Amino acid sequence: MARDIVAGIFCCTGTFFFILGTTGLLRMPDLFTRLHPSTKCDTLGACSVIVGMAVHNGWSWDLLKLVFIACFLLLSSATCGHAIGRSALRRHIPYWKKKEVKEDGHGA
Amino acid sequence: MNIGSRELTGGGAFRSKLLLFFLLLLFWIVLTASLALHELVMGAVCSAFVGALTVSLLGRALDPRITPSVLLRLPVFMVRLVWEIIKANIDVARIILNPRLPIDPRIVEYRTYLPGDLPRTVFSDSITLTPGTVTVELRGDLLNVHCLCPYHEEGLAGLEKLVAWLFQVKKPEVEENG
Repeated sequence: MARDIVAGIFCCTGTFFFILGTTGLLRMPDLFTRLHPSTKCDTLGACSVIVGMAVHNGWSWDLLKLVFIACFLLLSSATCGHAIGRSALRRHIPYWKKKEVKEDGHGA
Repeated sequence: MNIGSRELTGGGAFRSKLLLFFLLLLFWIVLTASLALHELVMGAVCSAFVGALTVSLLGRALDPRITPSVLLRLPVFMVRLVWEIIKANIDVARIILNPRLPIDPRIVEYRTYLPGDLPRTVFSDSITLTPGTVTVELRGDLLNVHCLCPYHEEGLAGLEKLVAWLFQVKKPEVEENG
């Protein structure tokens, strides 16, 4: 019972980070800034879900497979983000810069 | 550009190939979860094939920097990296959820003292996974890092120290001249 609760907490945290990653992807202004939420939040989200599954599953042979999945995910996610950023840089895609904010313009 | 990698003699290269073969076989056993003879034979054939492919593609079986002491330190490194990743996520989450989206992105150049391909690859992968930084170009010892906010740049030196600790690389005392 306690194990189910802990597994549920981890899976919910993972889902929350997935939602954050998607939100960031939609809110960010250009390709380079969009790399940040997609490489970080999605990685932590997926790892958190994997930890949840590992807790739910308990000590078994499948635990090793889950660890492998997490390791490959960490490696491939970072490499993939790097590859996208590098190809964009080599094509001289301009990156978004902060504009000078007028004092009266933004009332938050 | 392998400054630090040693030339392997015939015996060392063979040992490294053998080690790669057994690592792949171990991976196969974990995936199949059985020790039946036909599975092992199939795994041995596949491991030999993948090993031969790796050697023909990379010119060597395993990077000579992967030593037992590095593998021993790897779990500690992973734990500290995961801690950095969690901090990175909370930070990026705060930026994303802020209605004003307080970002000020820029691409900074960072010159690393880490020698060889493997430590630099580990370093740039770690940068991509930690707060507000993505490595967009790695050429020689020069990294182009895209930072979400200017203060994210400050985390790079600490991360470099962590990777240097993993591979036991000493920071050069004198600045290289030219």
